[in-house]
Amino acid sequence: MSNGYAGKILVIDLSSGEVSSLNTADYAEYGGGHGMGSAVFFDLCKDKTISAFDPANVITLMTGPIQGTLAPFGGGRCEVQAIGPQPWPIEWFTRSNFGGRFAGMIKFAGWDGIAVTGKAENPVWIDIRDDAVAIRDASATGDGLWGTGTYETEKKIYDLVRGGDSVDWTLYGTSRDTGRSAQNPAVVSCGQAGENLVRWASLIHEGGGGAGQGGFGAVFGSKNLKAISVIGTGEVAIADPQALMAARAWWSENYFDFDNYKPSLPGLHSYSPGGSGNIAGGLARGGVGQRPQGCMGCTKLCHGGRGATAEGPGSSCFDTWYQAQSGVKWGNPAASASNTDMLQSYGLNAWEGSMALPWLVKLYRTGILGPGKAIESNLPFDAVGSDAFNVAFLDCIVNGTDIGADLKEGCARAATKWGRYDEDVTSGDLAIAAHGYAHHYDARTESEWGFGTALGDRDINEHDITWVLYWHTSLAPLYGQPQALPAKEMVEMIGSTLLPYSDPMMLDFSDEGIYSDAMVKFVSWHRAYTRFWKQSAMYCDWGITDWLNPWAEGYKGLTPELEPRFYNAVTGDDTSFEKGIEIGTKIWNLDRAIWYLQGRTPANDQLAEWQFRIGSPAAHSTYEIPYIMPVFENGEWSYKNVWGRFLDHAKYDDFLDRYYAFEGWDANGCPTSDTLKKLGLDKAADELSAAGKI
Amino acid sequence: MADIDKKEATAQSGVSRREFITGVGGVGVGAVLGGALLKGILLPDEVVAIPASGGYLLVDTAKCAGCNSCMLACSVTHHGTVSLSNARIQVVQDPFVGYPNDITIAQCRQCPYPPCVDACPTGANHVDTENGNVRTVDAAKCIGCERCIQACPFTPSRALWNPIEKHAQKCDLCADTPYWDEDGGPDGKRACEEVCPMNAISFTAEIPMQSDAGYNVNLRLTDATAQLGRMGLGDNGEFTKAQLDAAAAAAAAAAAAAANH
Repeated sequence: MSNGYAGKILVIDLSSGEVSSLNTADYAEYGGGHGMGSAVFFDLCKDKTISAFDPANVITLMTGPIQGTLAPFGGGRCEVQAIGPQPWPIEWFTRSNFGGRFAGMIKFAGWDGIAVTGKAENPVWIDIRDDAVAIRDASATGDGLWGTGTYETEKKIYDLVRGGDSVDWTLYGTSRDTGRSAQNPAVVSCGQAGENLVRWASLIHEGGGGAGQGGFGAVFGSKNLKAISVIGTGEVAIADPQALMAARAWWSENYFDFDNYKPSLPGLHSYSPGGSGNIAGGLARGGVGQRPQGCMGCTKLCHGGRGATAEGPGSSCFDTWYQAQSGVKWGNPAASASNTDMLQSYGLNAWEGSMALPWLVKLYRTGILGPGKAIESNLPFDAVGSDAFNVAFLDCIVNGTDIGADLKEGCARAATKWGRYDEDVTSGDLAIAAHGYAHHYDARTESEWGFGTALGDRDINEHDITWVLYWHTSLAPLYGQPQALPAKEMVEMIGSTLLPYSDPMMLDFSDEGIYSDAMVKFVSWHRAYTRFWKQSAMYCDWGITDWLNPWAEGYKGLTPELEPRFYNAVTGDDTSFEKGIEIGTKIWNLDRAIWYLQGRTPANDQLAEWQFRIGSPAAHSTYEIPYIMPVFENGEWSYKNVWGRFLDHAKYDDFLDRYYAFEGWDANGCPTSDTLKKLGLDKAADELSAAGKI
Repeated sequence: MADIDKKEATAQSGVSRREFITGVGGVGVGAVLGGALLKGILLPDEVVAIPASGGYLLVDTAKCAGCNSCMLACSVTHHGTVSLSNARIQVVQDPFVGYPNDITIAQCRQCPYPPCVDACPTGANHVDTENGNVRTVDAAKCIGCERCIQACPFTPSRALWNPIEKHAQKCDLCADTPYWDEDGGPDGKRACEEVCPMNAISFTAEIPMQSDAGYNVNLRLTDATAQLGRMGLGDNGEFTKAQLDAAAAAAAAAAAAAANH
């Protein structure tokens, strides 16, 4: 392959030590990223019913064609997939994604992605230098990485790979033409949490880049894999370089200028220079002076920032929110950045830890948890919020001591073991949304978030509606301003981008609207859009969709022009926006097929009970302000505060039935043979048949 | 070096000795003794001068966000590919080092006395008088001896080896960018400067002070930059004592307010 692709996918079997490759061209129909990852997983993992810690689990780190290029919001993203230990009750084949320099670097090394299977006998790390791939000894007697945190691992690998020469051109290979680089290697690693198989252990890159949810850090740990390091000295062809440069210039004219900054619209946090990351990141660090920091090729530069004290490098948003949740929330506004650094160095998922604390504190304060209580614990809950408590809390999880022995399995499993799941998830004290994942944006109000979450494998973490039809539409009136556009104009403008449907009714978040056929269509569209354009092509969730652009005429965003524009300039394809939706539909169905092979039933499409009972914000949530959303009621559009709404079981179940039918799935929610074959997923159809699922 | 009669020198070259030394008068020159130089301006008594470049890239390492866009644009416009190793400007970062030392930027300085040009045995690395005297490599003449790469006094060397096309290359201020529809060069645009989302790369036609401080300058010139980026407006990437004191006072006040909460 050429034009945006390196041409090969690296395959490493840690059991045998064998290094081989696949041809990217064999997976061309998926575009890249997630689609290729799902297809590679499907091929390499024969038995989809295995557990996440089974050596036969396959973990993929995939790039798409725009990675390593000048595409704004995307150049740096890397999609990670595997059977994940975090999802509950079934360890779904799941995904996460991280930014930074890794994705570009593996392409320059000649690889469109990496697939790792098997388990090494002893701790190892994978050292990739262009086409030279070495499996090296990470143990204490080897390169001394195992047992250390992610920061230390990464720093050590810089030294090991560059041979102590951190400034000059380093020759990789032995002849004049084998390639040189002045760059530090791009490294992704698990911390002690992953080594110790904490189910919510993350993968960390450059301190703040993280594949946070899913437990991929523990997948690494289960394979005795500490880190993957890459140096790439090569190049990747661009089909139309002039068009790529012109597209970049077009983007610049339609977005902010850092030096001539015109304010964004209220609520569009990710639209400030440095993104929300810089704002939250500023809390993390002491000292004078910080810089925003950006993933490779990106223009938005929201990747956390770095400060003079080197605290919390690259950490932003929820990683630093953890600092707030673990400290400030409990009355300690001086909670230090060390809370974030500890989390990132251990390699722990900030969401799970943030959800656990309010739940545990309530159990403590109501006398259920503590020394000599029903749930025995000697953690210093009296000092919750202090740095000392945070140390004790994170330590016990990483080391599996005290209640950490149960918490390391994730809150859902711990609650089940403690006999508290039903009660605490009904009351909302344990704010699980679905699949054991923490509540994020709200199913009861911004339904596409919750419903897409329930129908999949994890909290979707796809902010399309969130910035525009929650944060902006809710925050503007709180500032005493009208929304940028009246409701009707807003939904018509955004609705026109929802190709091929282009139906504004898809954005009706009224009490009836959230269960309507139009919402069925929207959820389906959103799954497809995110599976292809965000997770395969692949563009960053914090850049697209660009629906409401503060700096463009009439606030009209760059979606749907932006997505195909850069993609096609790089690949030379003429993939239209709608074609991307078709490919996304295919990928979504492939994933759904894999989940059915894993044993999925309609029961797994449910949302946790508290969302059907209570209307108030959850104990841990991002439900900070009222949800003022567009609604179509009494024949007209308006913005309405839907705060306080909760879901109805019968209506939700009926929604699911109509959703299944719309997607061409059977009454059990499984893609039918017809549907799969029409999408070209014959292998999946055959395997589901053989397993008696269809 | 023999004495030069002032009047005679001026009459021959149109450049007075004072102008020669200060580089004013539109013909800034760097004096070079010996070497296999081409297209120099010959002054009397074996003093050979090279015309100064018509342009210089300036960077602000305290403003850079480390996105590598400059490097990718360099590769795209010159080669039609994306590559970090092929980029003639190198941004290297270590996320675990405190700001602003976590990023270094290595751009070619278009040296008034270019050792890379001097070292080239074939004239491949030369001064391009048709493109604002930019120092650049004619790939067709490069024999791969890498003397220019060794000669560059800076680390990493600004002249670099292209193992794919097998020739040395260096920053030419985009004078030769076949994969870009814009006019490059000292009189045109530079791709790195155009794509930088932080405006952390700038351009000047004046010879910078020949030191790190001459090429790493303060481009953080607006309050917006300072507020949004939380960057200091100190000169040359540093914070003034007044800024440091003010920041410390603000932090103390915030802590006091929090304690009273």
